[in-house]
Amino acid sequence: MTDLQFLTWVRGPGLNIAIGIFLLGVLWRLIEIYTLGRRKDLAAPRHAAGASGFHTVFRRSLPLPGMLKRSPVSYIGGYIFHAGLAIIVFLGAPHILLIKNLVGLSWPALPSQFIGLAAVVTMAAMVVVLADRINKPVKRFLSTFEDWFTWAVTFLPVLTGWMATQHLLLPYTQMLALHILSAEILLVVLPFSKLLHGFTLFGSRWYNGKVNAHKGVPV
Amino acid sequence: MSLDAIPIHVVNAPSGEPGLTGNAPPLLRELLEQVRRLLDTGEPSAIDLSALPLTPADLDWLHDKLGSGEIAVALQANGESTLNETGCPGVWWITHRNEQGAVTSQFIEVTFVPELVKAHPRDVAIGQEQLEFMISDL
Amino acid sequence: MQGPLIDTLARQGITRRTFLKYCATLASMMALPPTAGRAMAEAMAAARRPSVIWLPFQECTGCTESITRSHSPTIEGMIFDMISLDYQETLMAAAGHQAEAARANAMKENAGKYLLIVDGSIPLKMDGAYSCIGGRSNVDILKEAAAGCAAIVAMGSCASYGGIPKANPNPTGAVSVSDIVKDKPIVNIPGCPPIPVVMTGVLAHYLTFGSLPALDDKGRPKSFYGDTIHDRCYRRPFYDQGKFARTFDDEGARQGWCLFELGCKGPVTHNACATVKWNGGTSWPVESGHGCLGCSEPDFWDGGGFYKALSAPADPLKFAAAAAVVGAGAGVAVSFANRAKKSAARASHETTTLADLEK
Repeated sequence: MTDLQFLTWVRGPGLNIAIGIFLLGVLWRLIEIYTLGRRKDLAAPRHAAGASGFHTVFRRSLPLPGMLKRSPVSYIGGYIFHAGLAIIVFLGAPHILLIKNLVGLSWPALPSQFIGLAAVVTMAAMVVVLADRINKPVKRFLSTFEDWFTWAVTFLPVLTGWMATQHLLLPYTQMLALHILSAEILLVVLPFSKLLHGFTLFGSRWYNGKVNAHKGVPV
Repeated sequence: MSLDAIPIHVVNAPSGEPGLTGNAPPLLRELLEQVRRLLDTGEPSAIDLSALPLTPADLDWLHDKLGSGEIAVALQANGESTLNETGCPGVWWITHRNEQGAVTSQFIEVTFVPELVKAHPRDVAIGQEQLEFMISDL
Repeated sequence: MQGPLIDTLARQGITRRTFLKYCATLASMMALPPTAGRAMAEAMAAARRPSVIWLPFQECTGCTESITRSHSPTIEGMIFDMISLDYQETLMAAAGHQAEAARANAMKENAGKYLLIVDGSIPLKMDGAYSCIGGRSNVDILKEAAAGCAAIVAMGSCASYGGIPKANPNPTGAVSVSDIVKDKPIVNIPGCPPIPVVMTGVLAHYLTFGSLPALDDKGRPKSFYGDTIHDRCYRRPFYDQGKFARTFDDEGARQGWCLFELGCKGPVTHNACATVKWNGGTSWPVESGHGCLGCSEPDFWDGGGFYKALSAPADPLKFAAAAAVVGAGAGVAVSFANRAKKSAARASHETTTLADLEK
């Protein structure tokens, strides 16, 4: 298989399979989760300022008082790499083009140098977060295979994409094919791992906020 | 139909007319180094201008800075070539053109006399034969 | 073979200075250091004209058309005075048995020394019956000619990688030269067609140094195929700025913005078009407003569509709808199972009374 055949495979059949598994998995799990349902709380609802599902969705994005000081790496590193990933995925010109081809929506892109910078910052933040996870005994104790695996699966597309555009290690064609392949692996892994939080995050927050708001507790 | 009727803007190069890229000034330092080497060791050297990312404005700037010297050689060989000494003796601006007059390659050579100007001993030998032939005919 | 090349040239009225000038330009084009021009000139002047046999197989003669465009009056045309082209069906005066005899003769006289140029792919299906010359299959002729050659130049994408004849589903079983010949040095000069100066440059290199130039992992001369089109493209700054032409007649296209979205394969294509250009440096595909097709890469024809951007899917999604339906179905099925489990749990729930606790 030549480089170009490899690239054409990941752009064609590979992408087909990956998106198929991704859609299958995401729909399966979302429907499964949301049809579970919860028993109705029959107690009379209490009211408190700032207690609602909507509030919680936003409040949970901010650190609890004092937490930023206690684990700055988790918060700041986390913010940076999530924002970085969003910038790269949704504002990189080739990515927007992919989205346009898949769903028909498009919007202006950021300059490629800026995306390259975002990739470097994202990777740095991810490495720091990983080092923190390895160094802190409690975090290390709590980490399972899934945590290490999902970190790698998220990190690789950024690394390969950046290396492709910077012409590092391998010829661009091979690196681009590896980049697309790594993104496809991410798509396949996403529905069946903790990475599904990308979809369930706000639903869970809303649910928690609402359940507690019913009890008059802003969380 | 005139060319204006076709709605195409002529865009010369990215972001309009390219100006100075800042790639030309470092070449002066390189030339200085090469001139030093020529004086110290007698070793000639050259810079291939078409291999460098220089805009026309850069080349003009460089040309202006170096100025023109006393010698200008024109070579008629499959199109015209000019081998001109610049204001700095020993630094030559060499432009090769094809028969249509388009520039095919451009060099700055640092040498006492460009190799192309000198006659090759074998060609001189042919000249000698011709002279001998002429004399024998007298 | 005659005497040294410089004497041959002198007889044709080409002076030493013309030749030196040609070598300087050639060295510059081949990205060799400026001093290499003189070394080339010295080596070439002393070189003898090698015999060259040009075999055409499954091809469109575009490569020959291209190389003849480099002929007189441009300097590349000189290269033909430097080789002895003993067999080239399109260009030679002889035809039929005389032409075949010329080839056999050149092969015998220069055994082990001639340079073999091949354009076109070689069909292998039906014992090679898809393409024959003088009643002999291409594969047969190639094997015979390759046995006695010094080196092979695979001219064009077909000879280098199979090219268009090899395009899916490859009805003739077309293969490249390197698929058949394994024991000779082969240099691939892909392109559909290749750039004239690239072809003549490789020949000049062979004449000068008596060997083939440094090759990349796909057998191409690094001096011409070292960079991608994209990296040397004058429209590259627009890519970096995120300015793209979205159709062939929009404002972006008129402004000369990047053609990536219109399917340009420049980022994955190694060739010298962006620097050497075509038609004597007049223009090249991207400059004329069309994206690169990637013609110097293996299997460019099956690269997922010329007008599809590299980051776009090569094929329409096939399983997406089915997968969504299956996924939704699985979700609904599992939710019913969960519901059944819950109601079973509720049904088997036994109420604990005070009496039970006091037991």
